[in-house]
This record gives sequence, C-alpha cells and structure tokens, in this order.
Amino acid sequence: MNPLRDLKDEINKCVRCGTCRSICPTFRVVNREAASARGKLALIDAYMKGGIPLSETYLKHIKECTLCGACRDSCPNGVDTLGIITAARADAVEKQGMPYAASLVLKTLLDPGRLMPMALKFASRIQGLLLKDSTVEMGLLSRFSLPMLGNGRLLPPLARQFFLDMPQIKALYERSVARPSAAQAPKQIRVAFYAGCGINYLMPDIGVKTIDVLKKAGVELVVPSGQICCGMPAFSMGDVPTARSMALKNLEAFEAAGFDYITTSCATCGHALKHLFRDLLGDDPALKSRVETFCAKVRDITELLVNELGAVAKSPPGPPFFKVGETSPLAPFGPPRPAPLGAGTPKVEETKSPLGALFSKGGESTPPLWRQEFPPDAVPPDAHALSFSKDAESGAVKKKVVTYHDPCHLNRAQGIRKEPRLLIESAVGVVFKEMKFPCGCCGLGGGLSTTNYYMSINITKRKIDSIKASGADIVATACPGCMVQLRDGLHKYGVDVKVVHVVELL
Amino acid sequence: MITDRVKRELERLVGTANASFLKEDLICYSYDATNSPHLPDAVVFPATAQEVSGILRLANAESFPVIPRGAGSGFTGGSLPVDGGVVVSTERMKAIISIDTENLTAVVEPGVVTWDFQQEVERQGLFYPPDPSSLKFSTIGGNIAECAGGPRAVKYGVTRDYVLGLEVVLPTGEIVQTGVVTAKGVVGYDLTRLLVGSEGTLGIVTKAVLRLIPLPEHSVTLQAVFPALRDAAAAVSCIIKAKIIPSTLEMVDSVSTRCVEEYVNIGLPRQGSFLLIEADGARDAVVSDIERIKRICLDNGATGVAEAADKKAVKDLWKARRSISAALLRIKPDKLNEDVVVPRSKMVELITGIEDIAAARGLLIACFGHAGDGNVHVNIMHDKRNPLEAASAHAAVTDVFALTLKLGGTISGEHGVGVTKAPYLAMELSQPLIDTMKAIKKTLDPNGILNPGKIFMRQDGYESIKRP
Repeated sequence: MNPLRDLKDEINKCVRCGTCRSICPTFRVVNREAASARGKLALIDAYMKGGIPLSETYLKHIKECTLCGACRDSCPNGVDTLGIITAARADAVEKQGMPYAASLVLKTLLDPGRLMPMALKFASRIQGLLLKDSTVEMGLLSRFSLPMLGNGRLLPPLARQFFLDMPQIKALYERSVARPSAAQAPKQIRVAFYAGCGINYLMPDIGVKTIDVLKKAGVELVVPSGQICCGMPAFSMGDVPTARSMALKNLEAFEAAGFDYITTSCATCGHALKHLFRDLLGDDPALKSRVETFCAKVRDITELLVNELGAVAKSPPGPPFFKVGETSPLAPFGPPRPAPLGAGTPKVEETKSPLGALFSKGGESTPPLWRQEFPPDAVPPDAHALSFSKDAESGAVKKKVVTYHDPCHLNRAQGIRKEPRLLIESAVGVVFKEMKFPCGCCGLGGGLSTTNYYMSINITKRKIDSIKASGADIVATACPGCMVQLRDGLHKYGVDVKVVHVVELL
Repeated sequence: MITDRVKRELERLVGTANASFLKEDLICYSYDATNSPHLPDAVVFPATAQEVSGILRLANAESFPVIPRGAGSGFTGGSLPVDGGVVVSTERMKAIISIDTENLTAVVEPGVVTWDFQQEVERQGLFYPPDPSSLKFSTIGGNIAECAGGPRAVKYGVTRDYVLGLEVVLPTGEIVQTGVVTAKGVVGYDLTRLLVGSEGTLGIVTKAVLRLIPLPEHSVTLQAVFPALRDAAAAVSCIIKAKIIPSTLEMVDSVSTRCVEEYVNIGLPRQGSFLLIEADGARDAVVSDIERIKRICLDNGATGVAEAADKKAVKDLWKARRSISAALLRIKPDKLNEDVVVPRSKMVELITGIEDIAAARGLLIACFGHAGDGNVHVNIMHDKRNPLEAASAHAAVTDVFALTLKLGGTISGEHGVGVTKAPYLAMELSQPLIDTMKAIKKTLDPNGILNPGKIFMRQDGYESIKRP
C-alpha cells in the first residue's frame, strides 16, 4: 500500500486536462468541479502542501466518490486516481480516526463469531422501530430519515438464517470436506467458495444457487468456515488496518481449507480477494508469496464457469449446454476432471463438456450453441427459478428480456465483461438485450450511498433510465451490492424490473 | 481580495448555495488545462443572464475582476483568475433550450457540453460540426469564447461559422442580443463575430443561437501509415491539390503515435506517422473520394492504408487522436503546446523546419494536428525542473512562431492567446492593430473588470506568469 506521502509524483502527473469530467458519475450529478477526479486531486495536492487543513469540506469532497474507476480508465495520462483518493481517505482516518458507528460495524464484521450475535439482537430490536416492510420484493423502507440510511430508502432485510450458518453449507466446511491425498486420481478441481457479506447476511439464496451450480459442474466444493468480510468497505472508508486484519484472517481461513480456485459471486469481494489482498499484505515479506498464490487463484463465478470449467475441454461441440428436459441448465459436466491445476497441460479428453463446446475459441463453422434459438415449446416449465408468462393464444412461453449491468468491480477492476453476458445468452427462456451505458456505475460504491445518499441515488437514476429504455423484464448483474442499489433505485423511480444475479438465471 | 459586503451581495444575487468563498472550493476553480493555478476570491454559479448582469454591475461598482469559466479545459489560460476575483462558472447554465428542425437552428445555454449537444442534434438528423478534442467535456460557451476548431474544420469550418447570434452580458452589465436567428443578417456591426473568440474579455455569453446542418448520409474513416512525417505532410498537400476536401485530415507523428498507443492499445504503428482521414457526404461521392485519397497516400510513400472496419474501430481511432495531447506527458513531464497554422501548401516546409529546430535545440518536439487546414499542434517536450532544458524549450517556441509567420501563418489556430501566448502577440500583430483591439476592449469594459490579463501584455508584466 502506498501511503499518501509517497504519491506526490503520481498526483503531479495530473495535468488538469478535464477528461475526467466527461465520465465521472458524481460529477454528472452535481456538475461541480470538486466532484471530478481533477478537482479532488487539486484538493489533495493542496492539502499535502499545507494549503488547506484536514477540513470538513476537504473530507466531504474526498468522500464523494464511488471509486468506480472510470476516471482512471479514461485518464490519458494514466494517473492512478483511485489509488490517490483511497490513500487520502486512509490518511484522514489515520489522523482523525473512524466515525464511531462505522467503526462499530467494521469491528463486528472483523470478529463476527463473537460480536455478530450481540449486534443482531440489537438490530432485530430496532429494525421494526425504524423500518417497515415494503410491498416491493425483498425490501424494508426506512420510516424516518436516518443517518447513513436516508429517508424512504429501500433496504434489504437481514437474512433469517445467514448463509454460512445454513446446515447444507456447514456440511461444506473444511472440517467436513476432507482434502484428497495427492495420490488420489482422478482428482476433481477443488473450489473454495467465498460468500462475502452481501450473500452471507442479506442474499443467501444467491450463495445457495452458486453452490448448486458449482456442484452440478462437478467440482469439489469447500466453504472455509473462518471467512469474514473481504475488507473492501473498511478500505474504502480509509480504515486500512482493519482491512488488513480482515485480509489476513481470510487468507488463513482459505489456506486451511485448501483450494485450486477461490470463487465468489460478488464482484466487489472478487476484486478485494484478487487485488486488495495483495496490496494490503504483499508488503510483508513473510506473507508475499502466500498472498500472491492466493490472489492468483481467485476467479469470479462467471469467470470460473466460462473460462476455467469450460476451457478444460477443447473438444468439438458436445450436446447442448442446456439440455432440454434437465432441471438445471448446468448439467453435470461429465467424466471426472482432468489433471489438477498446475500439473502441466491438462490432457484434453473427449469430454462432453457443454461449456467447452460453448466457449472454445476455435473457428467452428456452426454457430455457437449459445447463439442458437431454443424452440419455445421445448422449455420445461420448471427450467429455472423464474416464472414465465404463457402467451395466451399459442401457448408458447414468452421469453423474458434480460439486460446486464456491469459492476465496476467486475468490469473495470477485473476486466470481466463477456463472461456474464455469455452465461445470460446461454440461459433458457431469456433473450439478452444490451442496455445503453451498461458500464455506468450504480452509485453504491466507495461508501457514497452512506456519505451522500442524494448523490448516490441520483447516479442510480441514470442507470435506471438506461434499464427502463432497454425494455428489459429483468436486469441481471454479478454483485450483491449493485443489486441492493438497483432495487432501491427501481423502487424509488417506479420502474417494474426484476433484479437478479446472473447465477440465478442458470 | 473582495470584501465581506461583496460576498453577501454575491450570495444575495445567486443564492448562498451557488456562491462559495471556501478555499477548498476556490482551489477547484483555480486551474485549467495549462495547469498553472491562480486562486480566485470567490466562485459563483449563476443560472440566468440577470444574475450574471448583477455580478458584473457589482464588479464595476466594487472593482473586482470577473472571470468567466466553462469546463476549464483551455490550453492558454483563458479562464485563469490571474488577478484573483470572482470566477463565474457556467456549470448551472446547461440547458438545450430548443432545436428548430424547420430552420436548422438551436438555442443553448453556455454550460452545455458540446458532445451532449451534438448527440442531441444528431438524434434529429442534424449536425453541429465543431469538434475540439475536448468536446466530451468542454462547453459551448467555452468553445465560443475561444472560437474552438477541431478536425472537422478542414471541411466544415470552426465554431464562429456556426454562431448566428448571442445573448451576452456586456462587461458593464447590460444584457444584449447580437446577431440574428435567420440565415442572413447585416444590420449594424457584426458583434457576434467579434465576441466569438474574444476569450471572455468582451462579454459573458448566456445564450447562443447556433446554426445546424443536415447530418451527412455516410462517412468512411481511413488510416494511412507513413515512414516519415514529411511524406505524410506531402500527401496532405496532394490531397488538397487534387481538390478533395475530406471532413477530417489529421496528422500524427511517430512520437505522438507511440505515446498514445501506450494509452489506448489499439494496434497503432510503433514506428512511423499516420494520417487519420475521414470523408463524409453522399455515399457514392464518399466512396470515390476515399479511393482517390488511398491512391494519393500510396503514391506519397504510405506503407499501409486501411479503412476502419466498424464503429468501434472508428471510436478507437478518435479516442487515440483526442488523447494525444495529455498522453504526450508520458515521455516528458512538461510541454509547451502551440497550435500554429500555415497555408496548406507550406505544410512540408513547416514540418521540416520544426525538425530542424528540434535538432538545433536538442529537444523532442511532437507534432500532430489538423494537417488538412495547415494547423499543427507543436508540443515542445521538456522537464521544467531542468532550467537549461526549459530555457531551450521557450527559445524553441519563439523559433517555431518565427518560422510560422515567415511561412505566412498565424501563431494560434484555435487555442487563443490567453496568458500563455500574450508575450508573443506583437510578433504577429502590428502595434496599430493591437492598439485598435485595446480600444475596443476599453470601450466595452472601461473599468477593465472582465477577464483581465488576457490577450494583451500589461505594464505590470505578464512575463511573470508561469507557462505550463
């Protein structure tokens, strides 16, 4: 991690050309210079040179950023705007400490085993007092304007049972899943699942569905029991020491469980596991190689399904990916996996891997299967979780139109764009339609939804407009955080579109 | 410095939420793309011409400078508060008031981002051609103040050619309408043309009536690679000589190409220069023009000529072209960015001359720009921490200007004079002409409150103003 004082040269690289004004989502809302990266860098520069103190206004401006990364991507001069802004936040926390409420939440997330029961007891007492049920799917509305929560905001309720506490998940704890000895062959790919707070506390269904899909893909699954928050919220708020402790705890929990791959269904957690852990722990010589091994094995769930599990078989097209009549589109992937990761080039077998057929890079003359239309009558009614309205006259199932929102932490941070789209296009009973500006930030990130909800939800508004204009019935994405924000925005702006995670379509 | 009374009055004029005196906010309005900041005393965000008028009347009464500002993306310091004072940002005046598809005109407020406006008119099958590289963030108001050009100028002209009329607040606070909303108009002096390109020294534009043209039916983008820049320049001259006017005829030298490729990664040549050529119009005409242009490029030694395959390729090429200016700083921390223009037939002489200057001064000079209209962006790369190198860079600017003027050119095609070119004004303009211009300024702005320190050198010395 580079502290702010080491970033002087990086800050000087900004020539104030103004390009960041054209893409910054916060700038678009307020149209004031301080919202742009250029303005923030000018402020940070002045602060470092002693021109301004660690003032309220300064702090307000450096907090008003979703950390979406669009400015860094578009900067002609390649300035690491995100690195500078997060370093400035860390510097402020180092000097001023964390706000009490935020620090309490982070403490709980750092030591959930001990503190979560207490926090929950408290939360359940006040939940009804402050929040009311909404008629909208999966949501609570705040009764009053609350600090950090805002007024009339649609919040996801806490799960009745947390993902990591579910019996079927406990059965996947490392204690229950023995590590196969090296001699055993053929070995399955061992995938360790990282849930993250969004899935664990708010949306366990997505976790359960991911586990389901992975099981059907024929991998050996393990859910390390000691996993905790990825540290991204702490890091975004500037609490680097807490983020570091979180990273270390997770590293140890996963090492204890063993893995060929680590996967997660949360774009933000994936970004943290892949990149933030290395930044936080890589400076320590004792941890460097361990954390690098860890980071190199992290895959987003869409990436794992498409690139790793599919790429194993480079054979000619097998049966259709989603074999008509099967209860799940992700049918078992056939024979045992080839050689484990890192054991040289896997021997390519004539597997029936449907993913291999779908995504192999060869120039097949036939159109790829995921491009082929399924006959409408061939879709079994229970093909997946979504309900389909029947066309009254023909009796054929009407396909749902699905659009996709690119989470910043998947698209910009991890460069994953095509994988989720390929998965959606291959799902049964849906047609994919690209919305305008799919890469635009949803507005949640960087703590903005708690520091400036007005700004945050107005960024969401542009996204909602895009979703609405696409005419989609469903917006799919790959990040529980984005899902929370999109649901809130759709509710607020009265747009009737369902929000799902890509895995829920499979 | 402004007094507390002035502060209260400014707050009353625009509302407390739209005026700031906090140092944190002032810092954010202290710079433009020259990156040489000057702190203002206040920044205000008026929403109407009446509010702007109130601010200017107050400025005359209380004697403080007023500096109009669009997106702050200028290259010559036009929006820098060099004497402090009150920055008037147009960030709240960003409405597209009307688009008249019968008369092919539009009325916009000054804070509208040029790109946003273009998207809107193109949806209606119309076209607003001026396209400065900053078009995705610069504003119509700023474009008018600087008379922004762009690649399309070779065929379509510059901002001035699309401004029919203005609502403008004069430095003394009167709100006037200049020009017409019709296609023609010769009643009285053409103040519209005087105001366009006046760098915010003669008035603050609060509305603009813009001329639109039909959106061309078809366009083709071509990329031609040349081993040497002078070959590319020769090809440009030949294209013009062949009486072909492409909509874009951009030249990028090898240094710029290499630099920007590092940023965009779209497979531009690592060696050699390239021309980015676009032709638009009726489909048949475009196809035949492009064929002839390809022939001319090959005859002039092009090693590769390729049409952009799809929209994405076109977008990538333009992203590359528009990013050169900032991307050049990857090779040296500082640059002097000049935008000289010569008659198109003198392009080869200019390029050869600049190569000689670079060699003689021991500097790296990157050249790119709108070769089709003889406008070349000369970027003299240096490190200002090295005083010797900085001195030769400044000396090279004078060399380049002298060469340009010798070839019958002008020292600025589209960036304006601002503060960075003020010291060189007398190289191009005669003293009687400068005096005439100053007299106009004095008539309109007797108290000298509007954007002081721009264009003209002053007795108190803008030699001291730091160049970028």
